[in-house]
Amino acid sequence: MKRIWPAVMVLLLGACGVRPSGPADAGRAPTGVAPGVTLYFVDGHERLRPQLRRTGRLGTIPEALSLLLFGPGESGLHTEIASSSTMTVVVSTGPALIRLMVPLTIRDVTPLGIDQIVCTVLGVHVQGGGSRNTKVQVRFTLPTPESDRLRTCPLIR
Amino acid sequence: MTGRLWPRGLRARLLLTFVLVTVLGAAAAAWSSAGSASTALVTSTQRRLTESIAGQIGAITPQLTYPPDQDALDRLRAAVGPDTLVTYRNLRSADGADTGLVTAALRAAVRTRNRLVTQRISAGGRPWLLVGIPIEITGPDGARTPSGIEVYAVRDLTGVDRQIDGLAWSAAGTAALALPPAVLLALLAARSVLRPVRELRDTARRLAAGDLAARSPPQGADELAELTVTINEMAESVQTSMATMRRLQADARRFAADVSHELRTPLSTLTAVVEVLATATAGMEADARESAKLAITETHRLVRLVEDLMEVSRFDAGTARLRPEEVDVAGAVRDCLRARGWLDRVDLAAPEEVLLRLDRRRLDVIVANLVGNALRHGGPPVRVAVSVSPEQVRIEVTDGGPGLPEHVMPRVFDRFYKADAARARTPGSGLGLAIALENARLHGGDLTAGNTSGGGARFVLRLPRNLEDA
Amino acid sequence: MAAILLIEDDPLVRRGLQLALCRHGHDVRTAGTGEDGLRALRSATPDLVVLDLMLPGIDGIEVCRRIRAVGAVPVIILTARGDDFDVVGGLEAGADDYVVKPARPTVLDARIRAVLRRSTGAPDGVRVHRDLSIDTTALTVSLHGDPVTLTPTELRLLLTLSRAPGRVFTRQRLLEEVWEQDYLGDSRLVDNCVQRLRAKIEADPASPEYVQTVRGFGYRFGPV
Repeated sequence: MKRIWPAVMVLLLGACGVRPSGPADAGRAPTGVAPGVTLYFVDGHERLRPQLRRTGRLGTIPEALSLLLFGPGESGLHTEIASSSTMTVVVSTGPALIRLMVPLTIRDVTPLGIDQIVCTVLGVHVQGGGSRNTKVQVRFTLPTPESDRLRTCPLIR
Repeated sequence: MTGRLWPRGLRARLLLTFVLVTVLGAAAAAWSSAGSASTALVTSTQRRLTESIAGQIGAITPQLTYPPDQDALDRLRAAVGPDTLVTYRNLRSADGADTGLVTAALRAAVRTRNRLVTQRISAGGRPWLLVGIPIEITGPDGARTPSGIEVYAVRDLTGVDRQIDGLAWSAAGTAALALPPAVLLALLAARSVLRPVRELRDTARRLAAGDLAARSPPQGADELAELTVTINEMAESVQTSMATMRRLQADARRFAADVSHELRTPLSTLTAVVEVLATATAGMEADARESAKLAITETHRLVRLVEDLMEVSRFDAGTARLRPEEVDVAGAVRDCLRARGWLDRVDLAAPEEVLLRLDRRRLDVIVANLVGNALRHGGPPVRVAVSVSPEQVRIEVTDGGPGLPEHVMPRVFDRFYKADAARARTPGSGLGLAIALENARLHGGDLTAGNTSGGGARFVLRLPRNLEDA
Repeated sequence: MAAILLIEDDPLVRRGLQLALCRHGHDVRTAGTGEDGLRALRSATPDLVVLDLMLPGIDGIEVCRRIRAVGAVPVIILTARGDDFDVVGGLEAGADDYVVKPARPTVLDARIRAVLRRSTGAPDGVRVHRDLSIDTTALTVSLHGDPVTLTPTELRLLLTLSRAPGRVFTRQRLLEEVWEQDYLGDSRLVDNCVQRLRAKIEADPASPEYVQTVRGFGYRFGPV
């Protein structure tokens, strides 16, 4: 009998209240801060090149796309996206898919130009904490089969 | 723990054990489920808080300038909510007094691990959750580096604590609910176990009291039933051997009675003719005269022996009857002594008149035996003292002899017991004291043997004053 | 010297007692059965009958009853010690006294003489108590003028009690005076004799006038 009571007491106390603990791991740290946003342009050898635009923050996907559509500026790089009067891009982000509605037709861009859009979008997505395996769907203003393709960036694997 | 607190009755012990086991079991089950539920509650609350803070931070980080200035830190802190501390190198932004609870251990863990870290602490009597969040910079290629921004949030867990208390109370309640059915079950179990035990006890008592026909019917096929069967068998064998013994004893007694009865007819003839012989001895030669006297003496001895034997047989057969009448005890004792010519050899101390209902002849037998023994075996002075109390009359016979040896005392009332071989040839039949004792008992009294402080033998006869007529 | 009839079935006991009683100066006739004894009684009435209760054929108690039915011959019965059934039966059947077997002839002789002495008394004339008259010289008793047949023991009991009317006699005293017995005498002798006496002289034996019981003490005569 003498040994039962301590066991009972332990049992009783054990269930009572929130017990203090040591530091415990609770998952991955959040991310998303950045000195600027990375845009992708094309160099003279028809290769995609990242270009850090020091905006002081990462910003959103539409902001990055706006900057991309605005052009490379004075840097020896060029863009293969035709300039457009409207810069508005509609972005909807799902768990494994980012869907863009760009104010362009398929004729306004070359395949490299599409890669520029996809890489820039994915870059922001990844830097904001998103998965690198996320697919990107670029929908153009005029109907075309290219609108349905799920794309990835060749530089971000 | 054993003596006072632990009850001695089987029922109470069964009850207590049963209730203890049940309630402890119920309490253990309730407590462990309450324990795991509370752990789950704490864990989920912790995860929810952490995820919500991390989500809030993740939502605002893309809008933060980097490297951050004080304004950026303030915005970040505001987005996370109150009781939050944000640091970046030498900059810090704090809100609420409770941010002081953030521990060094947590900070160290945040810096070294670069992962979300939580810690539960207790401060001011309340439980707190500390969440440490390092913010990382992820390159476009996914490479992560520490940004140097650290967010610490302090959250009150009192609500959770209260919920857990509720769980504990409901566990206690559940355990308490088990109590009445446990008591009920224990009583039922105790009864089912104790009933056969009680029956066995009653049977054993009856057996002990001499009712050898007592049995308990065995019920079921458990250990108690086996015990019952065993006890029944034991009682059976005891009964059988007792019956055999009684039969043998009765046979022996009947034989003694028959023998003494058969001896009486020839003894009648002998008794008649030895007196004729006695009156004729005058004309005999010396040796013939002695022979005749021996024959006479031995005949009278034989007669007394046979009479004593028959008396004992009547006691054994239970046919001895008391013939009580109103008797003056002192006078009867005096008459007894006078009739045998002992008055001048015995000191008699008796009150004037003690009236008592008793069998005069049997009292005479007892007194004559005791005084005769004292005169023969003890030494002078032989004293007879009659004394009276409200309950009984006491007749004490003492002598001035060597007294009864220790080894003789327990057997002094045995039949034919002779204290030593030298006394084997005494006029007594060897049944005198046995008959005296039986006569005392027939009166509802008692006869005891002992020694006086002076060393002589002392026999005490006690007779009740209110004799019920048998 | 008395004429005694001894009824005893065992021939050796019978002969032994006969020899011993003859030695004491008695004229002893013997009988082996109750029938023989009653026959002998009819042929010549003895002074006293010594009767063994254990008899073949008609038993001693019945023999005693028949003796009592035909006359006032005193009867002493021989009985086993402590055999109360025999003692009570014999006394109720009218025996005057009993002797326990094995009977010592001296004891038996003393009883015989005591019983026979009862036939004699101190003559002091005729005592008349209402309807009862006791002639202490002729040793006769009559009730309403009719003679009453009493055994010697009954007569002596009546003489003893009537000698001092109103005085209480303890059983012990009566045993000593009437039966000439020592302190161990059997008080049932007295009680039985009183019963028989009452049956003969009392109008209603259940509420006696002449021989009255004094509870706890004994008996007294009258007061009439």
